[in-house]
Amino acid sequence: MLFKQATIEKNAILMVVLTLVAISIGGIVEIIPTFTNETTIEKVKGVRPYAPLELAGRDIYVREGCYTCHSQQIRALKDEVERYGHYSLAAESMYDHPFQWGSKRIGPDLARVGGKYSNDWHYAHLDHPQALVPESLMPRYAFLGQTPLDTRLIERKLRVSRIVGVPYTDAQIANAKADLLVQADAAGDNDALLKSYPKAVQASGKAGEPTEMDALVAYLQVLGTMADFGSIEPAKMRR
Amino acid sequence: MHAGFMMEEASERVVGGLMLILGLTGLLLASGALDNAIYIFGLSLAAFAVVFELGLIRSHYDRKDRMARARAGFDV
Amino acid sequence: MSDIAMAPIQAASPRTRAVVYNDDVIRKFTIATMFWAAVAMLVGVVLAAQLCWPAVNLGFSFTNFGRLRPVHTSAAIFAFGGSALFATSFYIVQRTCRARLWGGTALHNFIFWGYQFFIVMAALSYVMGYSRGQEYSEPEWHLTLFLVIIWVAYAIVYIATVLVREEPHIYVSNWFYMAFIVTVAVLVLGNNAAVPLSMYSAKGYTAYAGVTNALIQWWYGHNAVGFFLTAAFLGMMYYFIPKQAGRPVYSYRLSVVHFWSLVFMYIWAGPHHLHYTSLPDWTQTLGMVFSIMLWMPSWGGMINGLMTLSGAWDKLRTDPGLRFSVTAVGFYGMSTFEGPVMSIRSVNALAHYTDWVVGHVHSGALGWVAFISFGAMYYLVPILWNRKSMYSHTLMAWHYWIATLGIVLYITALWVAGIMQGLMWRAYDSFGFLQYAFSDSVNAVHPYYVIRFLGGALFLTGTLIMIFNLLMTVYSPQTAPKTQRQSAVAAE
Repeated sequence: MLFKQATIEKNAILMVVLTLVAISIGGIVEIIPTFTNETTIEKVKGVRPYAPLELAGRDIYVREGCYTCHSQQIRALKDEVERYGHYSLAAESMYDHPFQWGSKRIGPDLARVGGKYSNDWHYAHLDHPQALVPESLMPRYAFLGQTPLDTRLIERKLRVSRIVGVPYTDAQIANAKADLLVQADAAGDNDALLKSYPKAVQASGKAGEPTEMDALVAYLQVLGTMADFGSIEPAKMRR
Repeated sequence: MHAGFMMEEASERVVGGLMLILGLTGLLLASGALDNAIYIFGLSLAAFAVVFELGLIRSHYDRKDRMARARAGFDV
Repeated sequence: MSDIAMAPIQAASPRTRAVVYNDDVIRKFTIATMFWAAVAMLVGVVLAAQLCWPAVNLGFSFTNFGRLRPVHTSAAIFAFGGSALFATSFYIVQRTCRARLWGGTALHNFIFWGYQFFIVMAALSYVMGYSRGQEYSEPEWHLTLFLVIIWVAYAIVYIATVLVREEPHIYVSNWFYMAFIVTVAVLVLGNNAAVPLSMYSAKGYTAYAGVTNALIQWWYGHNAVGFFLTAAFLGMMYYFIPKQAGRPVYSYRLSVVHFWSLVFMYIWAGPHHLHYTSLPDWTQTLGMVFSIMLWMPSWGGMINGLMTLSGAWDKLRTDPGLRFSVTAVGFYGMSTFEGPVMSIRSVNALAHYTDWVVGHVHSGALGWVAFISFGAMYYLVPILWNRKSMYSHTLMAWHYWIATLGIVLYITALWVAGIMQGLMWRAYDSFGFLQYAFSDSVNAVHPYYVIRFLGGALFLTGTLIMIFNLLMTVYSPQTAPKTQRQSAVAAE
């Protein structure tokens, strides 16, 4: 009898194989269906791939481990919706590689921080959080403002994003560097940028010298602002 | 030759070969590195491989030595 | 050193057929366990201080909380926990199979040094700012690939040793260790899938996005707890508690039932980390149901561990090492009850995102994982270095009480802090507005963060006492057995 413990525990290979079978079932049942995006992710207008500067800012957000203290996932609970805004939709993180929902709020949720504060507030706050929020436990990120943004790999970042499923167009990839510089420059001419990436927020940097802080602020300012909630019908939301 | 001895020998060859590949990979990565992480990782991997290979060589000859002494009747 | 060199010679002699175990690699992993325990807990105390007084961040990129936190978690789970698991699994598999560790000394040394290299490189990459941005899974692609090589070597050595055993049955500890080895391999390969920017760049983008990425991350994350921090340490429990108590395992049948149910059910529980999020509701419900069911196999293990002591409870008074192991099982029972409670959606609505979760994790990590490892270390070190006993039983008792006090302070402070955060965030005033700003909750938890810092510092102190005690056990002449001094010297 193959499935008798007396047999299994005399046969290491059989035991390993049966263990693999036992651990596979749960994973398959839960994970595979999420790849069928039609039922997992609602149809919402407005969610677009990140503009190059936002993507670079997002990479800094990941690099500094912001997710260890800030969530980006507003749960469907009354108090959270009142505190932070509309609960997070699956579609809003569908271009996030990796997702940054987080698991701990040492600081507040950032899923909809975009547009809540001015650029100036963000620059000052990252530079010295306690100067603006005395209770804050946040470390100072002044060094971001002094570090020039590394833009060498920006085209490649867009291209690799496309490989993992973010629908960047050829034109967007070709213009990545130019788009980045325009968005970082406080006085940049952003007409073309906004056509390509609607709702992109201009950072307050100097022309031609983007810093890491410019990128991070551009990212923070777009968080949660993309989805067009007018386009959602409640009936469709009920899954 | 005893099975345990053959195992030691085979183990050294296989691991020695693997470390050689890893060390060369490290040099390759460091040579083309686009960022500090890969540069430091590549160089460290190469250095790690060199030190590990030296250790393998030492323990290999130590063992041979001891075998020879044992055969000659010395107490080990 | 010597047993490696002598293995072929001794085995070749027809007079003796005794198996010569490879204890050298176990000694190395034991030293690594003690070293990484101190590092992980020290970084933890620094992080706790940063949360009390933000100035401790110092404002450098590499000293900020966000970059140090993965150093702490990786050092605790993978460096300290991992080294303890390597040491004990290699010890147990050789003894229970009555076979020398398969694969030759060179391969064992490769596993040891390779794993240490991986840990150092990973920690260095975090402080330099290279992280995948997923908890407990931060190493970028190149480090993941390197780890895979080590892990494959580990799996081969372990399973091959079981295959060449002289005992007909595979002992229960080995079931758990084998499940741990293969499952962790599946989890890491599944979760770490990514496309690097270039072969020459450490940065990569994960293969999955958004919801799928979240689900796979917590499938990984929760089963890192389930198989790395639970199953494998149960394997440790099933060997060392019977050894220390001098009693056989309480129930064989219970160990069979709880092994297979634990292995089958744990894998489903991940989605309880994602209640009320954008994850489909049915997946959340499934995760919750299995998390609650998981309570049973978890307590099966606890009962089997504790009942093994029936008839030998008096040993708790005389053997402080056993006290660690038994208290560990107690904490295991407590956190595997707390976990299912927290996975209930309505409880989770309050607990999620708060410090209650952090407290829960630490009652498992300090109370269960660290304590069962300490019990094993106190048992192993005198044997591995051929000493007649531990250097000081008084210091062991001090370690026990200081560490226990540290855990109690830690988890009670975070219970209060966590529940307070949860209640403040959802409190409404009489006009129907949210009563507190977020910063109010930050202010309110400050005293509890200070208590947590003290608890962590106490636990670290206990660990340093242990390290001193273990070092003295190895180096002090007073613990050297008289009759075996010759062979002990020869073995150096």
